[in-house]
Amino acid sequence: MSDDNNGQNLTSDLGSWLISMGAPVSITELMPTEITGLDIAPLMTMLGGIGIRGGVRGSIAGEQSADTIRWLPIIY
Amino acid sequence: MSSNLRITCGVEPQTGSVIIPVAVSEVFESLMAPFGFFNPTKGLLGELNFSRGVYSLLSESEHLEFESVRHLAQAISDLDSIGIALSQMDSEEFAIWCGLGKSEARTHLLELMNSIDQVRIRVQKAELRLDFVQYRPSPKVLMRSLSQLALVGVGCDGRQLQRAWSKSAPESLPKKWVTRFESIRVFSGHGTLSEREALLFVFRVKWKGVGNTDPAIGMVRNHLVIELGGVRRFLKLPAGCSRMEPGSVQLSKNKFEIDFVVKESEWPRS
Repeated sequence: MSDDNNGQNLTSDLGSWLISMGAPVSITELMPTEITGLDIAPLMTMLGGIGIRGGVRGSIAGEQSADTIRWLPIIY
Repeated sequence: MSSNLRITCGVEPQTGSVIIPVAVSEVFESLMAPFGFFNPTKGLLGELNFSRGVYSLLSESEHLEFESVRHLAQAISDLDSIGIALSQMDSEEFAIWCGLGKSEARTHLLELMNSIDQVRIRVQKAELRLDFVQYRPSPKVLMRSLSQLALVGVGCDGRQLQRAWSKSAPESLPKKWVTRFESIRVFSGHGTLSEREALLFVFRVKWKGVGNTDPAIGMVRNHLVIELGGVRRFLKLPAGCSRMEPGSVQLSKNKFEIDFVVKESEWPRS
């Protein structure tokens, strides 16, 4: 998943968002347009609130994932 | 799961020989597809490839084969990472992650977490065999990979190692290397927190020879991470550490210490 896919420039319809998160482009052909065209901004806000880590919350808010390892300096 | 597990390192695993429980495979499918890109733990799991090694460890086979000691250590490390990530996830998150409400998701999650715990016990009790006939690493590389294996809690019998070496090499293993291999100690996975002075605590981890292994040490949530060349071991920190700020790591030959400074703003005053 590239840095461009972390949702910073989030489009608000479900189809574009799925593709931006790494789904194959063909996913839009497999789903009805009423679904792929769905405005997901409210859903994203809700998911962010309940603490989905990394993939969703991190991607929409641009914050660092809570599961990122914080490496410490070592003194020999 | 039985404990009569035999693991051979140094042979090409046979394809199709691994049978894993249905619940486990379903969780892994949820991890990867069709909503696998929902990966909720990108930080821990994002760098992993859910390799055959992880599946092998979760299988019920009584004989497992890995290409090398390094591959076995990496598989155990990857499985540990998955275990840590899953244990941090609550059921609500998991239900969303695994496809917005699959009814059996929670049961499968619990089953997988239990399996991961059992795998650790099973692997530590396993009979480990080395085979250098197809490929014999240099003593230096072997020292590194055996240290990685020791980090994830698995030891290797020195006599078995020498026998395997003799079968593949015209000359026996030099005494210098025998001594070095025998000096490797399995990491216990424990540390202690003690008060050094007011508002300053130290978390001390003893592991013989750790100073020679060039580890990277970090933190993720409430766990300490010790890494040797991509192989990781996680150590649960005492609860108080989450309200303290870690400092640098003081690494010496047989131990390392991390200072934790109390963040006064995080503690209520009486």
